[in-house]
Amino acid sequence: MNFALSEDHLVLRQSARTFLEKEISLARVLVPGATVEDAGYDTNWSKIAAMGWPGLVIDEAYDGLGLSCIDLAMILGEMGRTLAPSPFLGTLFGTWAIQKGGSDTQKKALLPGVAAGSTKLALAVADASGAVDAPSREATARRQGDSWRLTGAKSFVIDAAAADWMVVAAQREQGRAFFLVEAKQPGVQVDLLPWRDVTRQVADVRLKDAVGERLADDAELWSWLRDRVLFALATESAAGAQRVMEMTVDYAKERSAFGKPIGSYQAIKHSLADMLGQVECCNAATLYAAWALSENDARGPLAAAMAKAYTSDAYMAVTQRSIQIFGAIGFTWEMVNHLYFKRARANAELFGSARTQRARVIDMVEKKAA
Amino acid sequence: MDFELPGEDHPRRKVVRAWFEANPHPSGLALAQAGFAVPHWPKPWGLEADAELQLIIDQEMKRAGVHVPRNPVAINNCAQSLLTHGTEAQRQHFLWPALSGEHVWCMLFSEPSGGSDLGNLRTVARREGDHYVVKGHKIWTSLAHKAKVGVLVARTDPDQPKHKGLSEFLVDMDTPGIRVRPIIDMSAHENEYNEVFLEDVRIPADRLLGKEGDGWALCTTQLQTERVALSRPGAIWGHGPSARELVEGLAEVGALADGAIRDEAAQIYVEGEILRLLAYRALSDRMNAKAPGPEGAIHKMLAAPHGQRVVDLAKRSQGARGMIAGEKPFPSQLAGDDPYDDWDYAFWFSQAVTLGVGTQEVLKNVVAERMLGLPRDLDPTARLPWSQARRSAP
Repeated sequence: MNFALSEDHLVLRQSARTFLEKEISLARVLVPGATVEDAGYDTNWSKIAAMGWPGLVIDEAYDGLGLSCIDLAMILGEMGRTLAPSPFLGTLFGTWAIQKGGSDTQKKALLPGVAAGSTKLALAVADASGAVDAPSREATARRQGDSWRLTGAKSFVIDAAAADWMVVAAQREQGRAFFLVEAKQPGVQVDLLPWRDVTRQVADVRLKDAVGERLADDAELWSWLRDRVLFALATESAAGAQRVMEMTVDYAKERSAFGKPIGSYQAIKHSLADMLGQVECCNAATLYAAWALSENDARGPLAAAMAKAYTSDAYMAVTQRSIQIFGAIGFTWEMVNHLYFKRARANAELFGSARTQRARVIDMVEKKAA
Repeated sequence: MDFELPGEDHPRRKVVRAWFEANPHPSGLALAQAGFAVPHWPKPWGLEADAELQLIIDQEMKRAGVHVPRNPVAINNCAQSLLTHGTEAQRQHFLWPALSGEHVWCMLFSEPSGGSDLGNLRTVARREGDHYVVKGHKIWTSLAHKAKVGVLVARTDPDQPKHKGLSEFLVDMDTPGIRVRPIIDMSAHENEYNEVFLEDVRIPADRLLGKEGDGWALCTTQLQTERVALSRPGAIWGHGPSARELVEGLAEVGALADGAIRDEAAQIYVEGEILRLLAYRALSDRMNAKAPGPEGAIHKMLAAPHGQRVVDLAKRSQGARGMIAGEKPFPSQLAGDDPYDDWDYAFWFSQAVTLGVGTQEVLKNVVAERMLGLPRDLDPTARLPWSQARRSAP
């Protein structure tokens, strides 16, 4: 029993922080019209790949580091803290899908390339409404000889345009299944969305008779994968909220009005104290989820849903208040406040809103009681 | 990092459980002498227990249906100061009766004029030979009507700045000149709180705790000292029902079929689970020998309004019936012997949890100033001699 992070984890987090603080600059997105490429989306990836991060959760048998969700949380948090634009998250989601659902052959074919940084991935699950659970007819798969053909559309696919391979959820006669789809084939069209969170690249994907290969072992994949996706988004959000709080506290100490720092007024102090409370709760919830998923503990699904539910609301609240405390300058494009505000809103909606997660939480609690 | 709690067959748990099996109905004194009243204290009073052992003891006492003697002011707040600041004679005289529950203690701190500005208190203790003579008026004193011992903070030097001229005394509550009057609070519960009037109360000088002038340091430490109380995530200062019972109750009466209530209940449930995690982390910090800091303030800042939300949703689920005195929202939930286990009473009482032991506003100041390093609120009276500040006060 020890709810504190180990020395090893703290060291890992610190090394990630040092690296990202040196390498990631948001200066180039603080110009109106900037795109995610301007923010170093591709160059950041090369640097991150050189650190070995794409292989963090890949088993050692496939050239990865085989680390746990707690280890991952140390690095993913720092990515969320800096908003580091890169195809890291999409690749992570795809990696998890293949790692859990792929055959040995499928893993051998793709994962060493991912670990080396030469292969990028994406996970295409949502439909046009953003729903990720409901059986949707928007993408369908039919068998053709040894392979499958996929037709239809998937929405809100993170890092789709960068991906070499995608893991696509599509409907068969007998229910939903997951398929490996090579992205650079004629039947796959990626349409970039004018996504407000300019530190991330999100696209719709259209499929027309695209060749797919079914993941060999996808029967239990979605529940396992969803927990990890929710945990990852929650971890980014928790760390982002902490960064925004720190930034806002610093500003409140420096900015003066009526002859004293604005942070000496209780209206501001109390708002910042509330932020700290939310940040502490975010961190507790996400670390608990990280632990439960690392241990494959039965409480994992509940922990991940709770973390996503709480951090979604808290990150939005913290970033909104940050703009309020910065005052009018915080409303301008040249400040980073809006980048965090937009990331908060995107993370809150993707893979199921806070309310959707709360519905899952209460379902799980009721089921456990019954 | 490891969130696993000590398991059913943990060797330390087996030892504790064996004691309760051998002593199914222990007296307060037997519990105290076994070290279970204050396990974290040094011997002979406690067991020098780390946080894990404290957690095990809490859980095993709950399982055995045994309670620590109901003497919270002594056990949770004040008696520990005797270890560091008391004389040997004071320890011998006061501690065993306090820990066994024989002598109930109360805290004579707050005053009608003071509220959050505790350091501005007006009760005066004047030295006369081998006694102090005390004159003043205390308020919001829990248990004063049952107490044998009062922990009194009074001003011994009005010419010092407000925080420096205070001293603390251990007062026999049956001393002539002490009068206790109950306050009937909005829950209609009598004797939860009292006023205490002190008219020329003569206290022997050897009842001074520590030195003259130690009063402020002692009482602020006592207000911060909280025993690790993990098995109590309840809505009212850690007692009474928690969010888990809320969801169970709402499910039982069918209220979760209402989508709005269902979502709100889920939100409160998530908060409640996170607060449990924060409490666990505080426990780990102690196990890892990190000194307890101002995190206690943030925990209370989060837990108090959370507790209000727990009992508020239960109350609203009753509709108009919730206004009928004593009406229970979840009839099949059995109340324990803690008064706050009663949902109806807990709701009407819950307005107090953001007031007592630091108002929500004062806690937010503490969090902002001590954890975030924001500028401190200026107290123009802090450095003046108290007697002078008092004269110039509006």
